[in-house]
Amino acid sequence: MLSSAQTPRLLRSPTTTTTTLKCFHSSPIPTSASTPPPPSQILTTRKSLLSRQTSAVDLAKSFLHRLRRHEPQLSSFLHVSPDETVLKQAEELDNKIKNNEEVGPLAGVLVGVKDNICTYDMPSTAGSRLLENYRPPFDATVVRKLRERGAIVVGKTNLDEFGMGSTTEGSAYQVTANPWDLARVPGGSSGGSASAVSARQCMVALGSDTGGSVRQPASFCGVVGLKPTYGRVSRYGLVAYASSLDVIGCFGSSVADAGILLHTVSGHDKFDATSSKREVPNYASQFVPIDYLESKPLKGLRVGVIRETFEDGVDSEVISTVRDAVSHLEELGCTVSEVSLPSYSLGLPAYYILASSESSSNLSRYDGVRYGNQVFGDELNSLYGDSRAQGFGSEVKMRILMGTYALSAGYYDAYYKRAQQVRTIIRNSFKDALDKNDILISPAAPSVAYKIGEKKNDPLAMYAGDIMTVNVNLAGLPALVLPCGFVEGGSAGLPVGFQMIGAAFDEEKLLKIGHIFEQTLQGYSFVPPLVADEWTC
Amino acid sequence: MGSRAALLLRATPPLFSFRKSAYPKALVQNKRFYTVKSSLDPPDVARLAETARISLTPQQVEEFGPKIRQVVDWFGQLQAVDLQSIEPALRADTEGDNLRNDVPEIFDNRDAIIAAVPTYEDSYIKVPKVLNKE
Repeated sequence: MLSSAQTPRLLRSPTTTTTTLKCFHSSPIPTSASTPPPPSQILTTRKSLLSRQTSAVDLAKSFLHRLRRHEPQLSSFLHVSPDETVLKQAEELDNKIKNNEEVGPLAGVLVGVKDNICTYDMPSTAGSRLLENYRPPFDATVVRKLRERGAIVVGKTNLDEFGMGSTTEGSAYQVTANPWDLARVPGGSSGGSASAVSARQCMVALGSDTGGSVRQPASFCGVVGLKPTYGRVSRYGLVAYASSLDVIGCFGSSVADAGILLHTVSGHDKFDATSSKREVPNYASQFVPIDYLESKPLKGLRVGVIRETFEDGVDSEVISTVRDAVSHLEELGCTVSEVSLPSYSLGLPAYYILASSESSSNLSRYDGVRYGNQVFGDELNSLYGDSRAQGFGSEVKMRILMGTYALSAGYYDAYYKRAQQVRTIIRNSFKDALDKNDILISPAAPSVAYKIGEKKNDPLAMYAGDIMTVNVNLAGLPALVLPCGFVEGGSAGLPVGFQMIGAAFDEEKLLKIGHIFEQTLQGYSFVPPLVADEWTC
Repeated sequence: MGSRAALLLRATPPLFSFRKSAYPKALVQNKRFYTVKSSLDPPDVARLAETARISLTPQQVEEFGPKIRQVVDWFGQLQAVDLQSIEPALRADTEGDNLRNDVPEIFDNRDAIIAAVPTYEDSYIKVPKVLNKE
């Protein structure tokens, strides 16, 4: 295991793109640094199942075993589907395959779903005591799509309450640990999903990203995190935090997996008026096998490095690791230049004003009357007041109060309206930069994973960590985070992710570049030591 | 649960009173000693909690106050920016103003919705009385 950044070597000798069954056995086969990561667990699963090399039941058992083995240390999951339920679904799949019946493209794929995404057969708490034991009467559209294509939901992952937070410490139930160092945070708010994918407790996972909640934990946990364009994926069934900013995003251990997952969940939904009718390209077709790449596969691609994201306040080791990634892109043929985004730093307060304000409105539905934990009172307003006081954690209360303030008569113009104007500036500055560049690059976070408890009592310090990610939500653009190196810490280093930002609906380009970067990055393995002995790919 | 609610009612000013004199004097005094960069009044946490229908104890109001004020001050930096003639953006505007037809559909899992209601008495959702404001 490497604990210091190495100069990545390029385009190693052609290697087979097929992976073998080694991935799914728990017998220890030593990892070697030159073993390439699998192009896709989803594709490998499909291939193994259809060729009868393994069964969905065996696969599920193997994952469930690993999931339960590490759960006491990680606490990635708020609810795990009972073994019988998972195995029954796996068995049904095996029968279909045996009878040569059609199975969906995600057949047998084990998925973790963030607990703010509604699942009909499992509780959906959004990490809050207020929704303890709440069972939605429906599946979110994204969950329905996954299930229709054969995926098995293995559990609901932990999150900061209602998506508000960057560490998962804001969960009312438990704190998730980072698989790379159990004393550190996995990031947030989708920390449980990131940790579960990192520790190979599930193959892929869904999260949500309002201000960076998929991308920052992806960076902290050394996995791939994809935030789609606003409107690309239906929000029906996602517990709303800030409706103009929320998106559902994808986690995978490879770019290909994140892309295939995105393809599965994307598309117009009549139940989400903000979902786009634009056709969904076949994201899975972006992944050119490495043997077929020319020596400068990204020739002609213009990459803009965002100057403001490499300035003071960003860890110097993170900067140097991301700059190495940029050099790698240059070696692949990209033309790199520096871009400056005016008013970049205004995005953070603007984001928090907009997010708090919208959340104060969205969370007003939690009144204890129609669902959730109720504190009955002798009159209606104390039922509201007490149910909410006891159900919401302190970060949620703070944001609701701040939002209430920003929207109050007399303050609306000074805060909310101004934040929306800043949003226009940021949107336009991204658009200008993306007219001259194919993608923009920044670190995914100003640091690597910090210790649990470090930022708990200092809200502004925690908010400051979102500087790399919030502007992308304000502009509604897609972004891909993938691991590019390590910084010292933990037993084997702490992963660093870099962020690629694309133009609206340009996920294809991000995935294509990300896949090539990942396949040509030499000398790193992003499998945490915790599971390295049982995971050989 | 009921007794705790009663405790909250005793310890805090009546939730419905909007008159400043109804609030504990300590909160009113704090305002005078607090300097803000913003030209606007600093957040009155007790009043915000009332508006947001969240019962806060006086201790919680004390705890939240400085944190909220700190964040709101930080928000204040937007007031220094020249935003003349910039249109406010409702959202990213990436696309998608697609309203479906206004045709009601039957939801097929009504039972699950009713099962989620905390206090349900056959065909009624039960709530306490609404206190009449004077």
